[in-house]
Amino acid sequence: MTYINSLITDGLAFALPLFIMAVGGIYSEKSGVTNLAVEGFQGFGAFIGALIATILSLKSGLGGQTIIYIAIAAAFVGGAVYAMLHALLCIYFDADQVISGVVINILGLALTTFLTSQINGVLFGNASNKFVLETSYRFSVPGLSSIPIIGAIFTKVYPFEILILVLGVFFWYLMYKTRYGMRLRACGENPQAVDAAGGNVYKIRFISVMISGGLSGIGGMCIAYSLLVQYSPNIYLGYGYLAIAAMIFGNWNIIPTFFVCIFFGLAKAGGNQLCLVMQLSSLYTNLFMIIPYVLTLVMMIFFSKRNHPPKAAGQPYDKGQR
Amino acid sequence: MNKESSRRGGPRAALARFLTNERWTQITVPIFCIILTLIVSAVVLLVLGKKPGTAFYSFLAGNGFLQKANYGSGSGMISDFFSFLNIMAPMLLAALAFIFGYRCGLFNIGISGQMLLSGYVATVFIGYSELPGAVARPLVLIVGIIVGGLAGAFIGFLKYRFNIHEVVSTIMVNYIISYVTAFRINLKYIDMISRSSKTISSAARLTFTKVQIAGCNCNIPLGIIIAILAAILVHFVFEKTVFGFELRAVGSNRNAALYTGVNVGKQMISAMMISGMLAGLAGVTYYLGYTNTIIPRELVSMGYDSIATALLGNNSPIGAIFSSVLITIFQNGASYMSSAVGVAKEIASVITGILLLFSACGGYFRRLAANYLRKLADEEEEAKKAAAAMAAEKGGEDK
Repeated sequence: MTYINSLITDGLAFALPLFIMAVGGIYSEKSGVTNLAVEGFQGFGAFIGALIATILSLKSGLGGQTIIYIAIAAAFVGGAVYAMLHALLCIYFDADQVISGVVINILGLALTTFLTSQINGVLFGNASNKFVLETSYRFSVPGLSSIPIIGAIFTKVYPFEILILVLGVFFWYLMYKTRYGMRLRACGENPQAVDAAGGNVYKIRFISVMISGGLSGIGGMCIAYSLLVQYSPNIYLGYGYLAIAAMIFGNWNIIPTFFVCIFFGLAKAGGNQLCLVMQLSSLYTNLFMIIPYVLTLVMMIFFSKRNHPPKAAGQPYDKGQR
Repeated sequence: MNKESSRRGGPRAALARFLTNERWTQITVPIFCIILTLIVSAVVLLVLGKKPGTAFYSFLAGNGFLQKANYGSGSGMISDFFSFLNIMAPMLLAALAFIFGYRCGLFNIGISGQMLLSGYVATVFIGYSELPGAVARPLVLIVGIIVGGLAGAFIGFLKYRFNIHEVVSTIMVNYIISYVTAFRINLKYIDMISRSSKTISSAARLTFTKVQIAGCNCNIPLGIIIAILAAILVHFVFEKTVFGFELRAVGSNRNAALYTGVNVGKQMISAMMISGMLAGLAGVTYYLGYTNTIIPRELVSMGYDSIATALLGNNSPIGAIFSSVLITIFQNGASYMSSAVGVAKEIASVITGILLLFSACGGYFRRLAANYLRKLADEEEEAKKAAAAMAAEKGGEDK
């Protein structure tokens, strides 16, 4: 019973950061910019967030929980600013968008690792490659959390999980119910039409990529708080790529992607719990860690054929083309 | 544009012509990117309060191109140079692997996974065996090629049969390989002290260790010869064979290739297979040459650095030889540079990243230069027209 409870609790704590990163990916790709850079965005965003958190806890008298919210906001800004690089390369410099994504990831890892050790050297006098973060508090909803099985959803909830749900609803509304969202989606299907209707394709795409970076940054920061309780190069675990896979499964739509992420989260937590239930030695955890990746591959075999990615994704917008 | 006008203009125009010159653009644009990178990294070093000159000197000295301040006993410039060749061999092979896929329009991001898998299989089956060197070394290469090729072909098959984007599938396969090999190594082959797999027999190792040359202990790599041969072979396949031509046709326009009767699916699978074979070779030269052990769960960053190498070399196999020299100088010289100048050695990766960033914009620089030249030519034309009109007007007044 406790196994099932912690499966749900841990699964959600992993699924929601993944979901917000995937929403980031959707924003970029729906506007017509292929985004393999989620991994780099989330790492860089988390780096900025962790840096601000470390400085604040060192220099200001703010409480640990306030710092967490500031760190998440900083991660949004950091990710968005870093994403401008991808936007510049893809939208104005007509670089190959897949290559640009890979470049952003490599540069992100190199820059953050270098800067972390430099800044640690300045702040603490030893060039360690990580920022230690405070553990986030978790709450349980009284009453609801005592319901069997479903109660696990309301047990030991990270505050950021609520934040992500709120953001998810907001960005769903922005994409499907507003004028801006409609233009954004049109940019990914037929940018010429947007231009003819008086929209600025370059500007819409630029903003979308920035939103993408910001949301990925939030996802990275949440993973740093929940899974690692520190910021280190370990943040580049490949969850950004997992988010991209979730986005492709969800067929570039926010609501199906949400359920795919929940599935991934449960699969990952399930692997860990299975290892515990079967009472295998810690050597076997490596074997159970492959579960989400194998599931991704298997599910892609069944779903990839029916996918239809945004038509104009991957192509720089050329005004003269028709 | 006539010859006369192309000679005129200031240094800006000269630079633009330098970049757009059709015969040399394959070389001039990368050189331009390298110079930009050196300028940017010099500025970064200056901001950190270090001397860029000393830093660049130590990058070269760390690889045996220049004299270090002092050497330990039994080591010298020549041993540094051989260790440079030792790490350059897998880098060049990995870059060739990326190029082979890329020319066919496929992004093989899974090079590090394919390297790990082939290195692991070769280590377990050949590295831990008692075979003599004359048998073991060729077998290591063959195992590397076969395992890498199968891993690559699997990705190509998924792409062709199920339409799974190769970037996503290679990354998933990367993690699966790294976890499964880590599990096997931890279970059976772990060395409790070094926390990595047990070292392989020296008969199976592709690097001859501690060879005495001019009083220095040198590690002489077989891999570098294989890598250069592979580069020449890949060049030959692309330029001189029907197979290579069809591959490039699929890469530049899949539909056109399909229309002219190329079997696109077969080409994609074989491109990924050969890309995987080259990655497999890179894997055995890395894990059974440069190192002789495998650290569990670690995917080497070379898989990604090789993309930088390939991009910088304009995705040409011969260009990759030169670019892998450059990237390896940064990567391999980082620790000596770090100790000599006192900057964290991660700066080498930052420099590689910046280089990659500029290389990705190579096409943009070229177009910018071409546009500038066109504007210049237009202005000249306008000026000529205006002068002619003025002259005509003047002539009219005289009458």
